[in-house]
Amino acid sequence: MELTHMKRLLYLITILFLGGNFSACEDIIQVNVEQKQKKIVIDAFIDNRHQTQTIRLIESIPFFDIPGTEPPLTTANVVLVDTTGGGISGAPIIFKHDSMGYYRWTPNPATGDTLKVGHSYALIIVEGTDTLIGGATLNPTISRIDSLRTLPVEGNGPPFIDTGRYCEIFAYDLPGTENYYWLKTFRNDTFLSTINKLNLSQDMGNNSNGQDGGLFIYPIRFSNLNEFLRPYRDGEKVRVEIHSISRFAYFWFQLVVNQSNNGGLFATPPVNIQSNLFMLNKNSKRGVAGFFNIAAVNSIEMIVKE
Amino acid sequence: MKCKLWAVLFCALLGGELFSQSFTLSGFVKDSTSGETLKGAVVKSINNNQSAVTNNYGFFSLSLSKGIHEIQISEGDYQPQNRIFNMVTDKEWNAFLFPNPDEIGEVSVRAKRSDNIRKVDISTQNISGKVIKKIPAFLGEADVIKSIQLLPGVSTVGEGATGFNVRGGSIDQNLVLMDDAPVFNSAHLFGFFSIFNPDAVKDVQLIKGGIPANYGGRLSSVLDVITKDGNNRDFQVNGGVGTIFSRLTLEGPIVKNKSSFLISGRRSYVDVLAKPFLPENLTGSQFYFYDFTAKVNYETKRDKFFISTYIGDDLFYAANAFGVKWGNSTLSARWNHLFNEKLFSNVTYYYSRYRYNLEFKIGEDLSFNWNSYINNHSVKSDFKYYASPEHEIGFGAVSTYYIFEPGNAVARNSLGTNNFSLPNKYSMENAAYITEDWSPNKRVTIRAGLRGSQFLYLGKSKVYTYNEAMAPGARRFLESVRPAEDNEVIQQYLNLEPRLGFKYQWNTKESIKGGYNRMVQNLHLISNTAASVPFDVWTPSTNNIKPELADQLTLGYFRNFRIGETEFESSAEVYYKDLQNQVDYVDGANLLLNELLEGELINGIGRAYGLELYVKKSTGNLTGWISYTLSRSERKSDGINDGDWYASRFDRLHNLYIVAQYKYNEKWDLAANFVFSSGTPTTFYTGQYTVQGYNVPDAGSNDRNNVRNPDYHRLDLSATYTKKKTKKWESSWVFSVYNAYNRRNPFSIYFQNNFQNTGLNQAIRFSVIGSIVPAISYNFKWN
Repeated sequence: MELTHMKRLLYLITILFLGGNFSACEDIIQVNVEQKQKKIVIDAFIDNRHQTQTIRLIESIPFFDIPGTEPPLTTANVVLVDTTGGGISGAPIIFKHDSMGYYRWTPNPATGDTLKVGHSYALIIVEGTDTLIGGATLNPTISRIDSLRTLPVEGNGPPFIDTGRYCEIFAYDLPGTENYYWLKTFRNDTFLSTINKLNLSQDMGNNSNGQDGGLFIYPIRFSNLNEFLRPYRDGEKVRVEIHSISRFAYFWFQLVVNQSNNGGLFATPPVNIQSNLFMLNKNSKRGVAGFFNIAAVNSIEMIVKE
Repeated sequence: MKCKLWAVLFCALLGGELFSQSFTLSGFVKDSTSGETLKGAVVKSINNNQSAVTNNYGFFSLSLSKGIHEIQISEGDYQPQNRIFNMVTDKEWNAFLFPNPDEIGEVSVRAKRSDNIRKVDISTQNISGKVIKKIPAFLGEADVIKSIQLLPGVSTVGEGATGFNVRGGSIDQNLVLMDDAPVFNSAHLFGFFSIFNPDAVKDVQLIKGGIPANYGGRLSSVLDVITKDGNNRDFQVNGGVGTIFSRLTLEGPIVKNKSSFLISGRRSYVDVLAKPFLPENLTGSQFYFYDFTAKVNYETKRDKFFISTYIGDDLFYAANAFGVKWGNSTLSARWNHLFNEKLFSNVTYYYSRYRYNLEFKIGEDLSFNWNSYINNHSVKSDFKYYASPEHEIGFGAVSTYYIFEPGNAVARNSLGTNNFSLPNKYSMENAAYITEDWSPNKRVTIRAGLRGSQFLYLGKSKVYTYNEAMAPGARRFLESVRPAEDNEVIQQYLNLEPRLGFKYQWNTKESIKGGYNRMVQNLHLISNTAASVPFDVWTPSTNNIKPELADQLTLGYFRNFRIGETEFESSAEVYYKDLQNQVDYVDGANLLLNELLEGELINGIGRAYGLELYVKKSTGNLTGWISYTLSRSERKSDGINDGDWYASRFDRLHNLYIVAQYKYNEKWDLAANFVFSSGTPTTFYTGQYTVQGYNVPDAGSNDRNNVRNPDYHRLDLSATYTKKKTKKWESSWVFSVYNAYNRRNPFSIYFQNNFQNTGLNQAIRFSVIGSIVPAISYNFKWN
């Protein structure tokens, strides 16, 4: 993600420097691309909270179609089994189709029907003649959240930072192990879902560099939490959730970010983002995409006051 | 190794004496107006056609049989000189040649015509500072690298890209030397300009194949830039005022005919001009680049000393927000010594550094500061022994110590500091070589050389061991790490690099030449972007990164011919290059400030092959060349493109360059370039899907570089108006147009989701230069 920032910066410099002399330019053009292979897409980010968990199944669409119009896969069987220790233990958890490719299951703490930290699970999906399988372990989340605060920042105006209040979270990485987190910020209950705010952390920072167990570093706890041209106003609600993710999920997300910001002079080659689910039917014409992760979640919220 | 080397040398020395029924004529060849030594001048006996060529320092040594010889010295831009010698003892001739009156006179150039036929050098091209200045360039500024990019076998990934690609090699595979010191990033402003100030450049040589044993350390080419010594006869001022920067060069004698200096500088001034127009929050911003070249020399009868230095930076500081700075500095101190008329030596110490700095600042107490550098100290000695007309022997050794600071990064905020710094890396590279040019008869010359190189990856450092990759092309994760002590040898690589060349010339107009070289490269530029960025990190070979190897075979046919009164020089060359241990990257590799960088790298192989055609006309009012290259450059790495061969990022099938200069009259010179290059390969997305609200592009299968960008073509024009020269003052105006027919050449086509507005995916054509770029510059010379 550092690279992404840098690329924008370099681009800005080029424009600043050469702006007076000529114009580098970008125009939108029509290109014909043929989608050679459709993929079954599994959106399976579930967690151990005692609320309804959702997995979505869709099929990938051509690159220039309207995003979000992927056809849902509504007739699949979606089953989660506990594979801790190698064998299968307990009854399988069945996600039932609700509508539009959303498969849901609600845990029941009273019967012990929940997802447990430290346990490993396999997700098995049967869709038509294809069977897909993937595994994930429910990793523990951070050791503790200390606080969430807002602080005044004197900015220098567009295109950088507007003067105003921005929020910062103080939370500690779980010491001793290699951990990966996804910090999700909700502003007035709306998830800040733009791709350039995807906030991932390896231990305390972007890559661990041997630092472990401390406070999240500055970009994680501050920069990626805020929209710098939209400071917080009095009375707004902020919630930050910290989800534990697997190492594979961390790199998967990083690829998603890289691919979304990949253009211009400093572009890297486009890559195919590998899923952690596998197609068991070797003769299938469809590919597999998407991801399966089970998170432990810790969260904090506040109302902004001057 | 050393013993053998000395044995060979001893025999050669002895041999030279035993068989001598001949005497040696030696000396230096210089420009009569400036005292600059001339490289590549041909010294020839008219009687028996024996000849020698001056070396980089203008020295020649020619063995002649007893008796009377008429000797001619010639160099393309100068009037030849003849003198008669009665060779009954060894003789010395320090010749001063007079420049051609109009620089492109016919008579003198003819004398040099047969050089390309006679020399054993293959795949080698020289461009003098004078020629570089005549080629129209971006914003009217003559440029070394831009001129090189018009030669066969040389290409670039696009406008504004740093560096150049030679015969399918990446940019870090070129050994770029400035007065012997390596330059690690030759670009100002990402590559729009190169760091070499043409006013200070005497000669540029590019070697693409048959690389002699005295060069080593990079796989693809050697670009040897030699700066001027400075006029040792008269004080002289050169300069220019251009659209984007200005130049000034001072040179003159310190002790007439013995010692001189040169000081040359350039600075861009967009920031100065823009200052009054900057918005308030950007006042105090700086954005400019500068460079400074200086050289002094002193000569006695048998010795010559040089010290030259270069300092240059690109700086961009937006007030109170961010700053970026990068630049090179080099220092070379050289001592040429003439032991006798047959043995010439050059001892050099050089230092070179490339560094960058990046900082962000928000308010008073939030900051991020990142520094990185590579630097090296080196001592090198080269000897040339002119044993006899049949034998010319070169030998030498070089030792280099490198320090790498991959990243010293500190973030500060109100609560304290976070340090992301990576440990420094150290290494040492030692090499020794011997090479001989043997001409058993007038038709045949054979150049055989051997270079032995040792690379040591040294402590103090951390030594990382990684797991085997889980799948081909997958990231490798850390298994263990241990500290290494100061100067501990963590890893050693030894390599033998044979070099071979031959020439077979059966008449004065034609020859065939061939060459083989094995090259070894122990420094790797870690970069997976389309164009290199200034923040790319150089890393040494380590216990996890093996030395890159290249074997290249090249064969050429050289022919000079006449059409009417006009002479042409032409060549056709083919080459095949086999590359091993090429650095490639895992998908989504994290290359910056990553301590576990080595786990992100994959080992690949490569191959490149091609045909290069070249025709040049150097006489008459219309001069120039046409160069055409048909080539392929491919890579193969586990896990990429399903493990199959794929075209490299800089693969271009056709490259056609036309360079023309026309002297219209005494006042007006016209020039034009035309460039056509096949589009570079790229990878397109074909599908998409949504996960967790994020739109994810999908490349379908694992194909790499499966689509071509559109072809690149461009025409540049320039007209130079030279005012009537007076004895003291010369000046000219250069009017230039870059991209004359206003083509919007795509650097790349990339795909992006417009998530901030429509949410739709788009194909975006990105052109670095999207319009016609006119410019005016003014040049002057006073002496």
